[in-house]
Amino acid sequence: MTDEGLRLIAAALAVGLGAIGPGVGIGIVFNGALTAMGRNPEAEGTLRTYMFLGFALVEAVFIFALVIALLIAFGVV
Amino acid sequence: MRNRILTVLGISLVISSILWIIGFRTTKLHISFVAEPVYCLFGTRTTETLEVCASGFPITNGLITTVIINLLLILTIIFGVRNMKLIPQGFQNVVEAGVEAFYNFAQGIDRKNVAKFFPFCASIFFFALYANLFGLLPGVGSIGTCTPYDGYEKPEPSIYDSWPLNCSSENQETLVPFFRAPTADLNVTLAWALVSVGLIQYFGFQALGAGYLTKFFNFREGFMGAFVGILELVSEFVRIIAFAFRLFGNIFAGEVLLVIMAFLFSFILPIPFYLFEVFVALMQAFIFGVLSLVFMSLATISHGDHGAEGAH
Repeated sequence: MTDEGLRLIAAALAVGLGAIGPGVGIGIVFNGALTAMGRNPEAEGTLRTYMFLGFALVEAVFIFALVIALLIAFGVV
Repeated sequence: MRNRILTVLGISLVISSILWIIGFRTTKLHISFVAEPVYCLFGTRTTETLEVCASGFPITNGLITTVIINLLLILTIIFGVRNMKLIPQGFQNVVEAGVEAFYNFAQGIDRKNVAKFFPFCASIFFFALYANLFGLLPGVGSIGTCTPYDGYEKPEPSIYDSWPLNCSSENQETLVPFFRAPTADLNVTLAWALVSVGLIQYFGFQALGAGYLTKFFNFREGFMGAFVGILELVSEFVRIIAFAFRLFGNIFAGEVLLVIMAFLFSFILPIPFYLFEVFVALMQAFIFGVLSLVFMSLATISHGDHGAEGAH
């Protein structure tokens, strides 16, 4: 196996494994937000803002993995 | 409305398929992780690397775009407040609506200190918004100067090779774009993160005095309190990295995504991802501003009873 092949496998593993946690997390965020909206439809506006805030915070974890994967793929590290 | 959208999409699909078959395909663009110098002030550039200057002050493409965005922001404000009226009209209305929407949201987070936190957070929000959206304009990242480069990779032959204004392959020239979204440059986002976290500490000390330190060095509640304090201290430093990489990662990954999608199937595949990137641009600018606001307001709240004692 060449170095380039190992590099590609490493990049794919980094982004693939890094997507598991945030995937579950985003599901939980939207689950909680939708449940809350269903129970209290008047608070939908505020809830939507905080929902996207939580979504972005969770998504950031995936973005870290993506940056690491890009760093590996472009040969920076 | 729905029919019209479907018609436009169908026509685009047909046109892009025809162009694809004729041979108009996007070549693999040179993706750079860092902002590259377009020109070296008082110095020369090397052919060994595109990323740094041999000597002199590097005018990077990120720097050029930052200056342009500063000018755009200043022009927006100048034209927005030129003829101030009590009942806003036209452009003044737009500017006021933007600032007011963010101000109202900030008030919902911290009503007491909103006037103190708002200027910094709003500046970051509007700068990041302009920067992110500027990075999505056509021509950003694809128009630039041709620079000789030792690590030149010969691109696959394409229909564009004979076109004028191409970088010549005889001189081994690589494109260095004039413009690059400032938020896709780690230096910019890291600088903002440092300023933001620094200001968080400043507001903490201003509100609580020396008592702010008891949040980090708390030895009165036994081992558990001390451990939590150390964790809080570590999280302050993690915050810098998280702030910097969240914005940089989102925007840079978005650019790479668009380039790859354009490479896979030009003209139609990038459309949904482009829309998503517009959403991400707005969202990440909002997140950066609002998160600094939230952390600032958290820092001014005393930590438990002991923190309150220190504040007196």
